[in-house]
Amino acid sequence: MVKTIVTAGTRRSLQRRSFLKGAAAIGAAGVFPAIITRRGHAADMPTVVNSIRSLSNPYHATWNAGGAAFAKSVGAEYVTLVTEGNSEKGIADIKAILAKTGGNCAINIDPNDSPDARPIVEACKEAGAYVVTQWNKPADLHPWDYDPNYVAHISFSGVPYGKAMAEALFKAMSGKGGIVALGGIESNVPAIERKAGLEQALKDNPGIELLDFQVANWSETEALEKTNAWLTQFGDKIGGIWAANDGMGLAAIEALRADGRAGKVPVTGIDGIQLAVEAILKGEMAGTVAWDPFWQGGMGLAIGFAAKTGVFDPAKEPKEHREFYGTGVTITAENAQSYYDSNIKAEPSLDWKDIWGRVSGQIQYN
Amino acid sequence: MVKTLSSSATQSPAASPDLPKARRWRAASWAPVIVLVLLCAIITLINPNFLTFGNMVRISQSAMIPLVLGIGATFIILMGSIDLSVEGVLTLAAVILSMLVLNGANANDYGLLAILAVLAVGACVGFINGVIHVRLKVPSFMTTLGTWFIGVGIANALLGGMATRINDPWIRGLAIERFMGFPWGVWVALACLAIALVIQNYTRLGRYIYALGGGEELAALSGISVAKVRIAAFTIAGVFYAVGGILAAAQLGLGNAQIGNGRLFTTVTAVVVGGTALSGGQGSVLQTLVGVLIVVVLSNGMVLMGVPPSVQIGVQGLMIIAAVALSIDRKLMKIVK
Repeated sequence: MVKTIVTAGTRRSLQRRSFLKGAAAIGAAGVFPAIITRRGHAADMPTVVNSIRSLSNPYHATWNAGGAAFAKSVGAEYVTLVTEGNSEKGIADIKAILAKTGGNCAINIDPNDSPDARPIVEACKEAGAYVVTQWNKPADLHPWDYDPNYVAHISFSGVPYGKAMAEALFKAMSGKGGIVALGGIESNVPAIERKAGLEQALKDNPGIELLDFQVANWSETEALEKTNAWLTQFGDKIGGIWAANDGMGLAAIEALRADGRAGKVPVTGIDGIQLAVEAILKGEMAGTVAWDPFWQGGMGLAIGFAAKTGVFDPAKEPKEHREFYGTGVTITAENAQSYYDSNIKAEPSLDWKDIWGRVSGQIQYN
Repeated sequence: MVKTLSSSATQSPAASPDLPKARRWRAASWAPVIVLVLLCAIITLINPNFLTFGNMVRISQSAMIPLVLGIGATFIILMGSIDLSVEGVLTLAAVILSMLVLNGANANDYGLLAILAVLAVGACVGFINGVIHVRLKVPSFMTTLGTWFIGVGIANALLGGMATRINDPWIRGLAIERFMGFPWGVWVALACLAIALVIQNYTRLGRYIYALGGGEELAALSGISVAKVRIAAFTIAGVFYAVGGILAAAQLGLGNAQIGNGRLFTTVTAVVVGGTALSGGQGSVLQTLVGVLIVVVLSNGMVLMGVPPSVQIGVQGLMIIAAVALSIDRKLMKIVK
């Protein structure tokens, strides 16, 4: 059988040159939709632009949906730029859209890496566009140094939510027993903060013993293998599993399932992805935190759009509105169903005018 | 001609022992096994739990996917080529499978047909690899790098960044249901190993692959159709990666575009640590089994021994160098690239 397949393949004389031509044509066609735009209704209406890492993960895909929902609500033209993890591409695409719109745009960006924020903000200031950054920026780059164009920077502190999840886990274990914990990439800021939150909770709960902490690098496969090894090492001593994100937590549940213990050992995650919320509904997971990327993708634009259209003057806002921690939504068995119904089953309906509604304090730099 | 060529080019324990050369190679090719035994002994000394039946089952669960992927890659590496499309095919297979069987996102429920479709997809990608590599004379490194990205790209496009939960009890059963104490997936991986052994030792294709790796010009001159052998080898490798994708989807209970991340590194490491030479012509799928076990036992053992997470990756690197250094016969090597 193998033989027939192979002869069929070799006998068919593939015309090399025409194949290459075809490949080149496909490549060239691929360049065009680098900036996908839709025609706006009014000429002077600012374009709204989201720049994100990729559309290949649930988080950024939801972010993009939020951006589209906001754009629809104001009738603005909506553009999505994708960096694919390439800082140069990210910056070049921003410059292209600034040139195309003549600076008449509001940009909401999750910079690929912290240093990227500076050239992007400078380019926006020069073009007269309004920009909101999220998650990544250098600690010494502040919105108030680029009035009024650099409207705000939004981030989320991992500490309180890492702690909240640890507490939800301890509660599910009735306050005593041993836990194991799965961390993210050791040098990642969210991984460090979430772990710090876990440590705080452990200090407050002497009845809980941390049996082991392992780094699974945000990877499901690694989390599965680490959990497998723990099941050998600690066996029944494991009363709960804390994971720094949902993907690793769900993988830990699969390791437990292969051992016949899924649902008996509580597991917590962070991020609030759909599968995690479903696992909470099934009773296999004890909790997660939703950052609400829908809100991030839409509200980041809404803030910049409001500043651009003169609803408020960024220069007159207090610093805690310029660099702030957003508010995560803690999901446990109590509110999982309502969260599922209003955020996952249906498209969330948010009040885009309530721009400071989720401010929970000014960002602290150590 | 071919027969003598292939037997002198093999380093596998199965190589004919009557040549003095082959006997000398034997000691070196057993080095990975010695490393594996030593490793197990050390871990058991520190944590006796290592040798429990439960842990053996868990190690077999962790080894089943790298084993299937490693088998596929062994055929390619034996020819002196490299295949980077492991993650691409695995991801594509897992994602397509998750969309065709009973799942949480659509109404499909094709069961066994879906598995056949996924294996066909793997064969297709492998076949394309082979055809581009042979007909367009693109080096295997670049060809398979391209198909890696294409595979992940298609998987991305299919799911739009989301993950699909698999509800098919047969697929999930591969990871959860057991036969003689071991999950069905482990038996599937062992069946793959048996099939690969047959291909390697008892088919013309298997012997030709060795011949190609030992010296392609000689093989061509002795009448072997190099192009056909190469295309067939890539196609078979693609099928094995697809099996790996099915097992990965079964284990995590979902398909997403990130399911393959990091698999390529483990696969190539396992093949090389097992003693298969990157230059081709030497090695065997059985040695890949040993290599996979070394890598898996090591990562399991480091958790059991309480090695701090920040040190683990470094220890892994040391072990790779040690295992490869032990299995090389330096007397036969004049040039090292």
